[in-house]
Order: sequence, then structure tokens, then C-alpha cells
Amino acid sequence: MITEQQLFTFLLDILAYFAIYLIVNTSLNLEYGLTGIPNFGKVLAVAGGAFVVGAVPGRVMANQLGILMGYRAVENDPILSECLKTLAQIKPKILEGMDYIEDNAVVGDCIRRVMVNDPLLSISLLAATVGLAAAVGAALGFVASYPAIRLKEDYLAMTLLAMGEFLAQVGYLDRTLVGGTLGVFAPDPYGWLGEYRFMASALVILFVALLFFYYMRQVSLSPAGRVLKSIRDQEVAAEVLGKDVVRVKQKVLIVSSLMASVAGALWAFNSQSVIASNYDRFTWTFWPWVMVIIGGAGNYKGILLGTAVFVILRRTIDTYRYVLEPLIPFSLVWLDRLLFGIALIIVLIVRPQGILPDRPTPAIQKPYLRKIIETIRQQK
Amino acid sequence: MIIDPIIRDAVIFASMLSLLTLGLTLTYLTTKVPNFAHGSFASIGMMSMLTFTQLFGLNPYLSVIPIFFIGGGVALMLYLFVLRPLISREASFVSQMVATIAFELILVAVLNIYADYFTQTFKIQSRGFLIRRADVRIFDQPGVFIAAPTLAIAGVLILFMVLNKTRFGVGLRAAIENPPLAGSLGINVKRMYTYSWFIAGGLGSVAGSLLALWFQGSPVYGSTILISIFAAAIVGGLQNIYGAVLGGYLLGFVEILGTRQLGLWIGPWMTVYRPLIPILAMAITLLFAPRGLAAVKWRGLFRSFGKGVGA
Repeated sequence: MITEQQLFTFLLDILAYFAIYLIVNTSLNLEYGLTGIPNFGKVLAVAGGAFVVGAVPGRVMANQLGILMGYRAVENDPILSECLKTLAQIKPKILEGMDYIEDNAVVGDCIRRVMVNDPLLSISLLAATVGLAAAVGAALGFVASYPAIRLKEDYLAMTLLAMGEFLAQVGYLDRTLVGGTLGVFAPDPYGWLGEYRFMASALVILFVALLFFYYMRQVSLSPAGRVLKSIRDQEVAAEVLGKDVVRVKQKVLIVSSLMASVAGALWAFNSQSVIASNYDRFTWTFWPWVMVIIGGAGNYKGILLGTAVFVILRRTIDTYRYVLEPLIPFSLVWLDRLLFGIALIIVLIVRPQGILPDRPTPAIQKPYLRKIIETIRQQK
Repeated sequence: MIIDPIIRDAVIFASMLSLLTLGLTLTYLTTKVPNFAHGSFASIGMMSMLTFTQLFGLNPYLSVIPIFFIGGGVALMLYLFVLRPLISREASFVSQMVATIAFELILVAVLNIYADYFTQTFKIQSRGFLIRRADVRIFDQPGVFIAAPTLAIAGVLILFMVLNKTRFGVGLRAAIENPPLAGSLGINVKRMYTYSWFIAGGLGSVAGSLLALWFQGSPVYGSTILISIFAAAIVGGLQNIYGAVLGGYLLGFVEILGTRQLGLWIGPWMTVYRPLIPILAMAITLLFAPRGLAAVKWRGLFRSFGKGVGA
């Protein structure tokens, strides 16, 4: 039987996954669902945001605290000397200095001890890092827009896929960026909340997700959204009517990459570490595509539905795999790819527009329109 | 004869990359959709080679024949059950691309499940396996070092002969170049496309199976070299299969030898940036020769250079 505690953890896990994928899917919907840019390099911006968290705040903190100068330099600080004292006896090298990557576990532990007692520092670090990740994401979006405004769909898809893979692979192979295969710790800005840290993290992600989702919904219902849809449906016609297609695509890619990058940063903070191999194209490009296509590309309700269905199913399979695993001779890690791959093909063939198809949005909302008709009738 | 091991790496990798690129281009020519699952055909070849040599003790070069049919069969499944229904419903290019991604998800899942099952049942390593020992030696060289380039060149020559000298090949070319016209002349365009998907899948799997004789094999090997295949195909121009072979060889050599040279010149930290090479190759091609190597007018280029020097 499952206890209340387990159920709570399970639901929190689903909530966190739902929120993080809602951000990524919102940004993909802005690109593909509304504007028609087939971005198969979604992982580029997500990994960019996560790598910012792995590479920047920890180094900044370590520099500020002077940990990298070695044990001697921080001997007088009660928290840091406590954290390093025992290790300094075993490993005399750290008396003189430490390397951020080589001694990552120790440095991370020291920073964690400092941050647990300092909520203000934690919150400002979170805000500053997410802001930096957003800036990096916008820059990556600008880079991705370079091919996006010049190439046809098929070439574009291949180029963006390659660009996305590049960042993840460099992160994996280069030890100095985010620790390569071993990964690095990420400072924990929720540590001061104690046992409520996961809940706080999930709620922060959910808040950001709803904010972005609301923005995307408003855009899709606004005149700007109709411009995007006109570019998606008939690029030449939009151009003839005086819309600057190049600029619009550029802006869309910058905004959506910013969102994806924030998602990557928040996810890295949530999992308290950054391991480059977790930022692959299956998790952060193909899964969002599966959700957006199954839910209904372009329709904001479809995005919500697709994300919810996918995350609940997948997390349930993942959590309860110990029940099924003795019955089948393979690891259940692969079962979700099989199931969702088949589901995606069936949806594409049977209902290509997704469960909730995108409908044209009227320029004036229906109740408002009715009111106008009413007024005109009365005037007659 | 002592050959620098990196030359062997480069020759084998480049030959097989060119076969994979050839297959990708062949399918792109028919359906105009890049097949995102093409890399996994190489993985199918790898896992089949592991099974045939380690489990059945078959000669690796005899196994190549059934592997060709396995890969071809899987490619047929993708074309007949996934892409053709979509095409007949006039699905968009993006939908078709997403469908190949879905097929890639399925292939990766099936291959990994098979690898799990294989290891559990037969207690043979199926991830990161090396089966160089199953290879034969020719002229005191590893067989695959001779076989890989031979097979790549033979494959291109045979395809060249078939496409230019046989009725079937002419029909295939006609079906690719102008489907409605070919159809009106009584060529069964759909059947021609089916054949090209079969050939492409088969060649991809054979390439993977020979790669398994030299490099560390795994059920996700193909997914990792997908970027290189795409880059080679773009360098080759995606418009004809000879360009694809050229692009495959060029990129294969540049990726392996170029990375090492850069590492020697600049420093060992450079080798980390090996994934940069396919992307740079894509970018340079798209900027300067967007239609690929095969479409560059070399004679005109030299003439204009000559003029520039003369003036």
C-alpha cells in the first residue's frame, strides 16, 4: 500500500514535470503551433539555461566566499571552516586552493551550508540566475533565427536539430563547462525552506509556467496572434499584406527560446545538479513535440491537455514500474518511447490536427459581437 | 604494413557514413522528407551483426546479406505504414518529419528492449560491445578496413549501373524527377519509391553492421551519428546520390582526421569540439554552396579564379 507521504511526493513530482513541460510546450507552440517554425532544436535553449545554472552561480558564489583560495583563506569564517576542516586534514592540497570542477562536491557542500542560513541571498541568486538564463536563451534564439528565416522547412529542421545537439554534446564532452560526464552541483536556492524545498520549487516553476502560458494565450487571441497564424498558413500572403515575416519570426524565436531557457534553469535548480547527458534531444525536443502534436498544435487548450495527459501517463509508468518490471524481461524505461511513438503515429494519421484542433480566432469575442448586433437592431 | 590506427578509423567511418548518406538522400529524393530515423537503421545493423556473429557464429560477411533484408524490411514498414498513409492524406512536411521522429522513438525503444533481452538471456554484453575479434583478416589487415571502402565503392558503382543501364533504373529516375509524367508513361511511381526505401534501409543497416566490426557498438549508436549523416547529406546537396557519397567521405575524413589535427595543432581540449565539425560543414555549405558540392560548377569556379589572378 502507498502511504499519504508517498502519494504526496508522487503528486508533487507530477506537478513539477507538468509545469516544466508546460513552459517548454508553450514556447514550442509559439514557434510551431502559431508561427509554423519547425523547431527541432528545442533542446538548445533548454540546455543553454541549465548550463548557465551549472556554470555561473556556483562559480560566482565560490569566488565571493573565497573558497577557491583554499582552506587557509577562509579559516576565520565559522561556516566554511567547519565545512572544510575535516577534509583539509585528509587532503592537504585544499589548504592552498581548490578547483571548481575538481573539488565540485566540497565547494557545493560549502555553498549549500552558507545558503541554507541566508534566504535573501538564495532568492536573489535564483532571480539573478534565471534572469541571466533568460538573456542567454534570447541570444540562443537569435542565433537559431539565423537559419530559421532563410531555410525551407526540411533544411531548417535538420539545421536546428544539429544546433541543439551541439550544445548538449559540448556540455557532455567539455569538463570545464558543466563538469562533462560527471556533472556539477547547482546551488540550491530553496534550501532554506527545509523539507518544503521541492514544493517551493514546483510552485515557482508552476507560477512561471502559468505566466508564460497566459502570455501565449493572450498572444494567440490577439491581432499579433493572427499575424503569426497568417505567416504559418500562407507566408507569401502575409508578406504581401505588409507583414515583415523575417522580423516576426526572429522575435518569436527570441521570445520562445527565452522561455525554454528559463525552463532549463528552473529545472536545474529543481534537481540541484546539472548533468549534460540529461539534456538530450529525446527529453527536451521530441517529448515536447509529442505533447504539442497530440494535444493540438496552435490551440492553447490543446497544449494544456497534451501536457497533462503525457506527464500523468509517463510519470505513472515511471513510478509504478517496480510493479510491472518483474513481469516483463526488459527495462520499462523504453516502454514510454514505444507507446508514445505508436500513439503519435496514430494521431498523425487519424487526427493530424491533434485532440483539440486549432480554430480560427474571431477578431471580436462572441458575446461582444452579439452586443454590437443587439445595439444595431435597437437603433433600427 | 603498419597503418596509423586513426587512418583505419577514418577510412571505415567515412565509407560507412557515405553509405548512410546515400540512403538518406535516396529516400529524401522520393518523399522530400528527411528521415529522422535513418540513423537507427545503422543501429539495427549493429545489433543484428552482434546477434549473427556472437550467437549464431556466422561469418560477418555472410551476415551482411540477411542484415540488408532486415534493414530494408524495417524501412518498408516506415514507408508503407507510416509515410504513405500520411502522404495520401496530404499531410504537411512537418507532420511527415514528426512521423519519422515517432518511428525513431519506436526503433530506439525496440532496439534497447532487444539489447536488454539479449543481455539477460544470453549473458552477452549488448551496450558498448566490441566484436572486432569476429572479423577476418585480409592481407594482414582487419577485414573491415578493406571491406568497408570496397563495399561503399561497389555500392555506388552498382547503383550507377542500375540507374543508368537498366529499365528499372531509368524508371526509378523518372519517378523521382517527374512523378506525374512518369506515372502517365506507365511507370508505377509508388512501387519505385517502395524499392528506393527498401534499398536505403538495407544500405543503412549494412553500414551499421560493418561499423560494429570496428567501433564500439550500442543500440543508440545510429542516433548519435544522425547529425553527421544530415551534415554529409547537406554537403552533398540532397539532390543526387553521387553528391551524397562525396559528402559522406568528405565529412567522415574531416570529422576524424580534422579533429585530431586540430587537437595536435591547438591543444587536446580542441577534440571536445568534434560535434562542431558537422555543424560548421552545414553552415559553410548553406552559406556558400546551398545546393551542395554536386551542384557547384567547378569549371566555372576555376575559370573565375584564373581571371582574378590574371587581372
